[in-house]
Amino acid sequence: MGITLRKGVFSRLPSLKGVASTPDQRAELMLGALAVGSLVLIGFMIAFVMGEAWPSFANNGFFKWFGWGGNTDQQLEGIFNSPGDPASYVYEIRTFPLLYGTILITGGAVIIATVLSVLSAVFIVEFAPEALRRALEPIVKLLAAVPSVIYGLIGVLVIVPFFDQVFITEGAKESVQYVIQLTGSNITVAVFILTIMIAPIMIAIVVNALNSVPDSWSQGAIALGVNRWRAMWTVVVRAARPAIVAAAVLATARALGEAIMLSMVSGSVSFSPNPLDGLIFFLEPARPYAPAIVENSEGLTIPPFGQTIYAFAAVLLFSAGMLSFAGWFIRQKLRKYTLTPT
Amino acid sequence: MEKLNTPPPVRRISPDKKSKPAKPSSTTAASKRNGKVSVKTGRSRPKVESIERMRTVDLGIAYGGKSAVNGVSLQIKKGEVLALIGPSGCGKTTYLRSLNLLVEQTPTATRTGKIMLDGEDVDKLELTELRRKVGMVFQQPNPFPMSIFDNIAYGIRERGSRKPTRRVLKPFVEEALDRANLLEEVKDNLSHPALRLSGGQQQRLCIARSLAVEPEVLLLDEPCSALDPRSTAAIEDLVLKLRSEIAIVIVTHNMQQAQRVADRVAFMYLGDLVEEGTVTQVFDKPQQKRTRDYVSGDFG
Ligand SMILES: Nc1ncnc2c1ncn2[C@@H]1O[C@H](COP(=O)(O)OP(=O)(O)O)[C@@H](O)[C@H]1O
Ligand SMILES: [Mg+2]
Repeated sequence: MGITLRKGVFSRLPSLKGVASTPDQRAELMLGALAVGSLVLIGFMIAFVMGEAWPSFANNGFFKWFGWGGNTDQQLEGIFNSPGDPASYVYEIRTFPLLYGTILITGGAVIIATVLSVLSAVFIVEFAPEALRRALEPIVKLLAAVPSVIYGLIGVLVIVPFFDQVFITEGAKESVQYVIQLTGSNITVAVFILTIMIAPIMIAIVVNALNSVPDSWSQGAIALGVNRWRAMWTVVVRAARPAIVAAAVLATARALGEAIMLSMVSGSVSFSPNPLDGLIFFLEPARPYAPAIVENSEGLTIPPFGQTIYAFAAVLLFSAGMLSFAGWFIRQKLRKYTLTPT
Repeated sequence: MEKLNTPPPVRRISPDKKSKPAKPSSTTAASKRNGKVSVKTGRSRPKVESIERMRTVDLGIAYGGKSAVNGVSLQIKKGEVLALIGPSGCGKTTYLRSLNLLVEQTPTATRTGKIMLDGEDVDKLELTELRRKVGMVFQQPNPFPMSIFDNIAYGIRERGSRKPTRRVLKPFVEEALDRANLLEEVKDNLSHPALRLSGGQQQRLCIARSLAVEPEVLLLDEPCSALDPRSTAAIEDLVLKLRSEIAIVIVTHNMQQAQRVADRVAFMYLGDLVEEGTVTQVFDKPQQKRTRDYVSGDFG
């Protein structure tokens, strides 16, 4: 979307030179100015965040900043308690647990939600009886509109205690007691709730996409002796891949930026869940960048601490940008065969 | 494959058609009637042995109780192209879609009567098996949003559980394209998107896609209605080429086209089969008044 916006602006620029006399031209000029204005604003925002974040990256070294070593939470505390003299500000931080937590929770939720949403969308479009389909669509849309803090509350009040009582046995606690304390807040709960949060919007997008695939394509496949289910997968879902990618990108962006809910259920400890712990891995807590930002926002006025938090934000901002670009690129690739002659 | 050496199909269509003296064929007499239409095909149509492939017995189709096809009995033979003609809404498409049971996709549709394929009731056949044996090409070209190669290979790949490699598939893909008179035009661009082809090429691609699964019967539902005369000629050419190998039914609105490509003609009206016979019988000596009105263009 960002791309079309920019293209539109550039193609309209020449009209700035002419006299905007008709209402159409004036409207165009207005919209152009608004678009340029918002782009400039976004540009300033990126520049500002990057500028604020710079000392944190520079003092640690870019790769070391993302690396591991030490306890990230203790390092944050050290930065928070920096001496007041700018010359002796403490910057040392290794954010690997946050990076790992972000990838684990966002990636897990997006992968599960993508599979789930494609399957449900296929079911809704192709196999659900008319009555069920009519009931499902508004429900899905309603779910997509629920504020994340409500999911967080349900997580904290219902799911976390449930995990604590049902899955976290004394044995499980003891087996990792020197490394981490297990409460009911963990990556599984986080991934579970995040999946529920992002899946509805994905389902809505994929349902729309599947509905807009011309019927003549599946008819063509069926006429070749392919059953309905195969025709759906090999032709209709295939043709809808650009929309599936778009939905996944949107969902990833939302998941990356989800702070409140994750802060409530993911455990809020900068810990790297260890797959070698076996099943207990799924009961271990983590702390992605976004919740780390909200949880530390009270220290923003302390310069080195604020700069560190801005560095977290910069990572999220950069990831969101890269994500949009990657999504756009993949969609272009996939659309190659869908485009009709112009 | 030596088939690659055949001259490009499009070249031999319209230009040399006019220069050749019209061969005496069943269609020339018809074309002189009324002095209105002049159809000179100039295409050779060798007599080939005709073998029955399909037959409908008293076939009726209704949509939600409303009849669209009433008791139609017809034979479909290899070596004899059958043209279905009749005004819009008379049930031609419905009849065609019932032959491969594609009507069963419409939940409201109900069927009476029998459909036989090679002497066997189609209800005894696996649905996918039937549809592979009875291929269908639609009014609007509908290539899949894939490369030309993948379009043709689609049916072959979906047939087996083990997916053959591209190298194994290539001769089959090329053969199907060649039979549909499209190979010369696309052989260097097999990986190009099929949707970038022209309308006429897309329709031939759809025919090739059907041919790739080796059907016994090919149903063409107004395949040329969206095409220009040149592409139409290319498709008529390939119908004449294929008629000795496959039983072909072609629905057409175009009387001249029916005369050019068909051996037998069936005229439908409001779901009824009004008259059926050879091209000469139907166009020159129609028995029914409705047929006479329709083929002479006085249809009201
Ligand atoms: N899917 C359908 N549902 C209900 N009625 C249909 C459907 N398809 C066709 N019909 C009706 O059946 C009749 C025959 O249609 P059709 O077979 O498409 O005719 P033709 O191909 O000769 O123009 C028409 O009256 C049409 O309205
Ligand atoms: Mg029709």
